[in-house]
Amino acid sequence: MREHRLKVGVSGIRGVVGEYLTPSLASSYAQAFGTFVGPGRVVLGRDTRSSGEMLQHAVACGLLATGCEVVDVGIQPTPTIQVYVGATRARGGISLTASHNPPEYNALKLFNHQGLFFNHYERRELLDIFYESEFRTATNNEIRRVVHDVETPPRMHIERVVRHVDVERIKTRRFRVALDGVNGAGSELSCHFLEHTLGCDLRAISVDPTKPFPREAEPRPDTLGELQALVRRDQAEIGFGQDPDGDRLAIVDETGEVLDNDEVLALVVDAVLGSLPGDVAVNLTTSSVIDDIAAAHGRKVYRTPVGEANVVEMMQAVKAVIGGEGSNGGIIFPAVQYCRDSYTGMAFVLDLMERTGLPISQLAARMPKYFRKSGKVTFEHGRLGPVMRDLEDAFPQATVDRRDGLKLLLDRGAWIHVRASNTEPLLRYAVEAKDSAQVEDLYRMVRERI
Amino acid sequence: MKTERALRISHVGLRGIVGRGLEATHILDFSAAFGTFLPPGPVVIGRDPRASGIMIREGVIAALMATGHDVIDLGMVSTPVIQHAIQRANAAGGISIGASHNAVEWNALKFFGARGTYLSTAEAGELLDIYHLRKFRLADHTGLGHCRAEAGEVDRYLDDLAAVFDMAGLRRFRAVVDCCNGTSALVLRRMIERFGLDFILINERVEGVSFAHEPAINAATLGLQLAPLVKPLRADAGFLFDIDSDRVAVASETGDAVSEEAVLPMIADYLLPRGAGKLVITNLSTTALVEEVAALHGGSVVRVPVGRQAAMDALATYRTDQIAVAGEGTGAVMMPQFRFIYDGIASMLAILSLMRERGQRLSEIIASYPAYFVLKGEAPLNPQAVPVMMMELQKQYGDGLVDVRDGLRVAWPDRWFHVRVSQTEPIVRVICEQKGEPAWALFESLMDYARNTTATV
Repeated sequence: MREHRLKVGVSGIRGVVGEYLTPSLASSYAQAFGTFVGPGRVVLGRDTRSSGEMLQHAVACGLLATGCEVVDVGIQPTPTIQVYVGATRARGGISLTASHNPPEYNALKLFNHQGLFFNHYERRELLDIFYESEFRTATNNEIRRVVHDVETPPRMHIERVVRHVDVERIKTRRFRVALDGVNGAGSELSCHFLEHTLGCDLRAISVDPTKPFPREAEPRPDTLGELQALVRRDQAEIGFGQDPDGDRLAIVDETGEVLDNDEVLALVVDAVLGSLPGDVAVNLTTSSVIDDIAAAHGRKVYRTPVGEANVVEMMQAVKAVIGGEGSNGGIIFPAVQYCRDSYTGMAFVLDLMERTGLPISQLAARMPKYFRKSGKVTFEHGRLGPVMRDLEDAFPQATVDRRDGLKLLLDRGAWIHVRASNTEPLLRYAVEAKDSAQVEDLYRMVRERI
Repeated sequence: MKTERALRISHVGLRGIVGRGLEATHILDFSAAFGTFLPPGPVVIGRDPRASGIMIREGVIAALMATGHDVIDLGMVSTPVIQHAIQRANAAGGISIGASHNAVEWNALKFFGARGTYLSTAEAGELLDIYHLRKFRLADHTGLGHCRAEAGEVDRYLDDLAAVFDMAGLRRFRAVVDCCNGTSALVLRRMIERFGLDFILINERVEGVSFAHEPAINAATLGLQLAPLVKPLRADAGFLFDIDSDRVAVASETGDAVSEEAVLPMIADYLLPRGAGKLVITNLSTTALVEEVAALHGGSVVRVPVGRQAAMDALATYRTDQIAVAGEGTGAVMMPQFRFIYDGIASMLAILSLMRERGQRLSEIIASYPAYFVLKGEAPLNPQAVPVMMMELQKQYGDGLVDVRDGLRVAWPDRWFHVRVSQTEPIVRVICEQKGEPAWALFESLMDYARNTTATV
């Protein structure tokens, strides 16, 4: 099987830097982007990957060649870049980050003039321009400059976040907070945000953006051991774990246990629905707990295929007040920006702890309890179809949703979801149910068919 | 709307009209080829003021970092400053982004090896092979280079110049300098500050969307703005630099253009008595005056084919201390004191030093040389017809001393001509020189050959 070290597709361009993701390819893709958005300002930033500096020059070259002005914001979290793109009326933005992928990977995340991920129409047009290599080429007098602005984006981002929480009361509370920044793009901003903006007693690890990632980049229960140890040792009230580009958030409770990402999303959804009108949009793999919470508030839940762009498109369409992707730690709060944002998540959770006076473990325990189990196998083309047919036959009574692979909805909020990953050559599967025995049963039945 | 397209990839490097032939992909691939070609080590880069240099700089940095080289970025500087910095940093090589004497819509990459020297023919050939194969040595994410900016290289370059030329002694001269909105302005402004030189700069503003006039180095461009100013400003000389200041054109205190052919002989005249080196290396198209000047000092001339590479190949076959100076009849001169780099500002200082040493005005120095009259022409290139034309010319003028290393050069006592195909443009160049008076009849006959050959197909 071909190793997927480079993927050029509708979700952008992602690959192993060196032989696969070359500066030439990055520059060409940037030229396609610059041709699509037109000659104007394009915001360019990156996470802390070692290849980011090189790729930033390559992408800047491509953008300038099409007549765009490059606004270099340096190392910034992805949501910070998105806020800045939208707020400054730029033509678009590019974030160089492979998010939670290993350090040898990098990728281009593309934003439109509102700072939103390219939707599927935009992605298709861009890809056509890229494949046809029909780029706009600026002549000497049309070539514009590179301007630098590293101060404004984080300030704008934090200003927007704090509008929605009671900063003064959070400050007074002086939470003891642990942080694992994975030496990522948010390292400095997170420290400043927690320590100064929210007045926490901060205990931080891995917040040096010049160093490599000290752990696997995706913040998961099995990668956050150091953060858990830090919470226990320093008796922190909560621990936050970020990914390299600061869009995902994982939470460790005061006992040192990593909360399930769906539980974190559920907490935030509950808090937001408690104070603001509007519906909810989440992806198909997100827990049924969201449906229970929305029902309790008398709101609707809209489901979408997995992928931030899909959730955002739905949220815009239904004017949802909150949304996200539970499975991968993403909270989307449009009043800040239509994007996954760990800073909004941190602020909301601390605000909730301050308002209720309850420890995070108890807040999580108040949520309806579901059990989940998920897995992945190396994907082979043509394999998903038979698996889907098999499963559908095995659960004839289930409600079928085929928008992203196959989701089978069973009784009492239980479900099965199998799908192909958007970004990696993986077949992902997940099951959920209210009791753990049923989860094990369902999981086994899926495993058998894969 | 201008629709001219141009891209030229050759031993001389990469050159073209940005956005109309020269695209980002050429920049990235050629720079990656250079990064692959070079041994490990940092690479020094700089650019001229053209706006397209902003884009090209990004591509050059990306490709060099991707091939594992740290990049030392000097920003906007003249080409000689880059070459001095390569030597000082003990770098693996360097790239100068700029199209020197071309119009503003052009840009180019010039490549330098270790010690800031131009690539030899063999090295340039290898670089081209790597570019065409597109098999680049790309580092993985642990082996990528980093980029750092380096300010202050202009001052260190001036230190090098001041170690060779007596700057204080040149304060007596007033010179008007036409910077043509190029990088010479940055160097000269600093020279004025540091050494108190009486230089009056025109077209000093450095910005990359237009130049005050065509940045060519010849009598016509000298006459545009500079030459008429020399006399009213009571200056001792006028100097015109191209955009990256590797070449210079000169006007005398009378406001007359000095032939670009006289620059090398004057500098040879200054340098030959000062060192052990007695050889002047120049190309087949350069004035015979250089032989006369060399003979005055017991020196001799080595002639090589036209182009930087041929000069570098020749230089490599001699010890540095055998050579007094090397250069072309175009106003491009390189000196052993600066490890053989074309440097218009060093040339200017050498000419002023000659004036000081002789106690003569520039027009007097020129008048002291025998008068040579050079005629230059060009005709569009028809590659298929060139061999026949050359054979006919050789038959017609076979009574002289024939040299066929670069087109055809035929020499008689006090008269010679050279007909060759340009390396940089699709033209046939005709040049013919005679002592005492212009050889119009010969020149017209040669031009007829060149033009007729074009017309036959």
